[in-house]
Amino acid sequence: MRLVEIEDLVVSFRQFEGLVQAVRGVSFDLQSGESLGIVGESGSGKSVTCSALLRLLREPPATITAKKLVLGGQDMLRADKRALASIRGRVAAMVFQDPMTSLDPVFTIGHQIVETIVAHKRASKKEALARAIALLKRVEIKNAEAVVRYYPHQLSGGMLQRVMIAMALSCEPAVLVADEPTTALDVTIQAQILQLIKDIQAETGMGLIMITHDLGVIAETVDRVVVMYGGRVMETGPVEAIFAAPLHPYTRALLASIPGQQPGKQRLTEIPGSSPNPANPPSGCPFHPRCPIAEDACRVTTPLLETKATGRAAACIRVPAERVAA
Amino acid sequence: MSEHALELSQISKEFGGRTVVDRVNLVVPKNQVVALVGESGSGKTTTGLMALRLIEPSAGRILLGGHDITSLRQRDLKPFRRQMQVVFQDSYASLDPMMTLGEIIAEPLAIHAIGTASERRDRARDWLQRVGLDGSYATRYPHELSGGQRQRVSVARALILGASVLVADEPTSALDVSVKAQIVNLLQGLQADMGLSMLFISHDLSVVRSLADQVVVMLRGRVVERGPTDRIFANAHHPYTRALLDAVPVIDPTARRRRTFLTAEEINANTPRFRPEDIEPQPLVDTADPQLVALAGSHFVEAIVTGGR
Amino acid sequence: MLQFIIRRTLSMLVTFFVVSIIIFMMMHAIPGGPFDGNDMPLPDNIRARLMAQLGLDKPLWEQYLRYMWGVFHLDFGVPYQSPGETVMGLIAHAWVPSLVLGGLGVLIGAPIGILLGMAAALNRNSWIDYLASAIATLGLTIPVFVISTLLILVFAVWLHWTPASGWGEPRRWILPIMAYAAVPMATYARYARSAMLDTLNKPFVTVLRAKGLSERRIIFQHVLRNSAIPMITIFLPMFVGIATGSIFVEAIFRVPGLGAYFVSSIQKRDYPLEMALMLLISALFCISYLISDVLYALLNPRIRLGGKGR
Ligand SMILES: Nc1ncnc2c1ncn2[C@@H]1O[C@H](COP(=O)(O)OP(=O)(O)OP(=O)(O)O)[C@@H](O)[C@H]1O
Ligand SMILES: Nc1ncnc2c1ncn2[C@@H]1O[C@H](COP(=O)(O)OP(=O)(O)OP(=O)(O)O)[C@@H](O)[C@H]1O
Ligand code: SF4
Ligand SMILES: [Mg+2]
Ligand SMILES: [Mg+2]
Repeated sequence: MRLVEIEDLVVSFRQFEGLVQAVRGVSFDLQSGESLGIVGESGSGKSVTCSALLRLLREPPATITAKKLVLGGQDMLRADKRALASIRGRVAAMVFQDPMTSLDPVFTIGHQIVETIVAHKRASKKEALARAIALLKRVEIKNAEAVVRYYPHQLSGGMLQRVMIAMALSCEPAVLVADEPTTALDVTIQAQILQLIKDIQAETGMGLIMITHDLGVIAETVDRVVVMYGGRVMETGPVEAIFAAPLHPYTRALLASIPGQQPGKQRLTEIPGSSPNPANPPSGCPFHPRCPIAEDACRVTTPLLETKATGRAAACIRVPAERVAA
Repeated sequence: MSEHALELSQISKEFGGRTVVDRVNLVVPKNQVVALVGESGSGKTTTGLMALRLIEPSAGRILLGGHDITSLRQRDLKPFRRQMQVVFQDSYASLDPMMTLGEIIAEPLAIHAIGTASERRDRARDWLQRVGLDGSYATRYPHELSGGQRQRVSVARALILGASVLVADEPTSALDVSVKAQIVNLLQGLQADMGLSMLFISHDLSVVRSLADQVVVMLRGRVVERGPTDRIFANAHHPYTRALLDAVPVIDPTARRRRTFLTAEEINANTPRFRPEDIEPQPLVDTADPQLVALAGSHFVEAIVTGGR
Repeated sequence: MLQFIIRRTLSMLVTFFVVSIIIFMMMHAIPGGPFDGNDMPLPDNIRARLMAQLGLDKPLWEQYLRYMWGVFHLDFGVPYQSPGETVMGLIAHAWVPSLVLGGLGVLIGAPIGILLGMAAALNRNSWIDYLASAIATLGLTIPVFVISTLLILVFAVWLHWTPASGWGEPRRWILPIMAYAAVPMATYARYARSAMLDTLNKPFVTVLRAKGLSERRIIFQHVLRNSAIPMITIFLPMFVGIATGSIFVEAIFRVPGLGAYFVSSIQKRDYPLEMALMLLISALFCISYLISDVLYALLNPRIRLGGKGR
């Protein structure tokens, strides 16, 4: 079953300098049980895309348009407030990038998980609390019985991140949208959390959209990858193919700058040049000012993203169609 | 004895009767980067904030450049504040939502009354560019940024004063690999050119490996191992450090595996055991309690010393 | 928490004594004394006798100590202007109208202001937002005596809906209560709006929406509770600020409350009454700060439980 369909999503913000387009025509979809990874440049529109999917951006200043924005079979562009409230948390739950500001500072952890459960499930407060404690234990918070009585400022960054994950999982969502869910975790706990998510996916067919900069986590967790740059999708494809044979010059540059591949103190590889300024984006291909193989045409034509039967696509005029289809 | 940039000795912190940092010793030598890694919730942030007197320690001493700042009043701390800067783990919460990025980055200059308003503005723009953001971002507000852009603003604000000691708590966790490389290279450059010393708290072992001179590993409020970066990565002795290194995800989707993780019991059961002759300097106290013992090459590990005498 | 309250109480007592000394000194530093009025000059010897009788010939510190000793026994002395009563007695009957009118004014004005501010924050840039900021600006910039006069002009003189002044049947209370309500309403309309907007911009509000909570629950439980924290800190000090406003309101509406005595005690150099009124106000101030501090800590777990030192 298709859980998410996004077609030609455009998000702009009203700003001092005028309209700024943060997302400039993004399309992808997600099947149940599938894991989709979104990677890409900082500021390329990953978080905005996911917030737009749940209609969480304040409109205005944001404006969202799309040919299709469907979540769990519901048209998110037409849903009213009540419909949105019943979709959020239950059909799709989101883990936010900034765990340390994502919880209400004046309520306990327990209260905040319980209210989520009670909003969507027929459960008494007591049952909900028991469930909250069980969930916290599953995300490796050992003294969960005590932690439910804590306030957010009493937990470490990584503990808050796990609380957010537990809260998102508390209503058994059909889709989990996880924005950098493991940045504050050490790798052993990270491994356990990712395993937990996989187990839940196997049990319930939950779909996963995961945004992360950790390419190791991508390699290990997801089935399909969307690579974003400058508000657009540069490349998509099955994870093995992307890592084995990246097609788009940006994807290649990204994979080449993964740090720590050799031992010892060292300078790290940067992609030369600077990120596009969304207020004043480059014409044509957004990557052309930094692309090592750019040609004149790149400045004028905006390359299209056409998905081939192999499930691959690359928005680059210099990538021959045969290679995408190979 | 040479002065270190930062030295914590036997520092502890209790919150409501729970000890979250337990007699930690930690030294950041001048012009070095010491990475603090370890379990989530093990007390890294608390330790870092204590080093800056942003959390008051329950016990122990803090020395900054050889000066004991443990019990200085906030007013007397002000001259030291200029030398030490911090990048907070919660970069969003530490940025004033009512200020523009230009104002936020220039604020430390304003606090210490450095330069004229327009000089400060120029320097702020300059620093925006050094962390990879366009100068036009100076007029934006924090909530209009992506996670990684906010993190870079925190880094710029921490560095603008030219501090000599930086405590950076997860300063690269929200950055893509290229920007991360840019920030890490920037920090390396400052270490080389301006003699910056740094306590670098991070879960990102690949960055730690490329940036740090020494690594300190924390587990449940205690330091369990520390040593030169290469030795820790090549020859870790503590089971937790090993578990940590083993659990780093492999960047190859065809080589997926179930990553290993150890329970607390397994870690305790596997505490390294040494005979006294394995340990430097000889002779060493003989006790059944786990404690840090010295191995060759300034490498220390929590271990049980058995037999001997 | 208990420790916190004890610490605060102690520091409040210290503040109170310091304030009492300052008031005492300031009063006596103003040139002139109770018998210097020139409408009825007193012979020197009688004057000296009166001064001695009232203890005014003693050194200042002794006068102060004697006075405070009395205060501990709730003895504030005898007002010079009506020697037949005690200061305590006088205050005891005069505070009733002040409290009723001022109290009702705040109890009516503050909630209306809060609701107005909330409505403004939730409908930013709508007519209600503009109305709220107009009211807030007017209420804070127009002095109380102008508002009072305007009220009389409109409701009593032009419309003849209410009596213009006096004290007695509740019909006469309406206008002074409205005058009293103006400041709290304006203050709160402003404060509640900005506190709400502040909270609404916090990332955790987006998270609450993402969890699928109803907008009502988000506003009335989370946003309100968070915004209440900054709002509490101004409630009680403002309550006392009303007391000073009362001087004008009561004078204009001719209400026999404390406000009237304020003016007359200063004019007549009635030290005991003046001192007692000033002390009363500073005590109210201190206590209200204490209460708002404690409430603040109760609502804010970071303060209550101690936390990251930032
Ligand atoms: N509320 C807003 N108002 C104006 N601009 C915004 C707003 N939110 C985001 N932006 C801009 O939109 C662009 C995309 O932001 P987004 O948060 O989606 O980036 P991202 O891909 O998630 O990056 P990161 O990896 O750094 O989190 C950025 O340039 C950001 O500055
Ligand atoms: N203000 C506080 N009150 C009570 N407990 C606290 C407080 N601050 C931190 N703690 C506790 O101290 C412990 C260590 O927290 P700290 O933030 O130092 O961890 P950390 O090592 O930085 O973890 P992470 O990697 O997850 O950020 C945690 O168990 C946390 O619950
Ligand atoms: S379209 Fe041109 S500029 Fe863009 S990635 Fe391809 S070659 Fe480079
Ligand atoms: Mg993001
Ligand atoms: Mg931390």
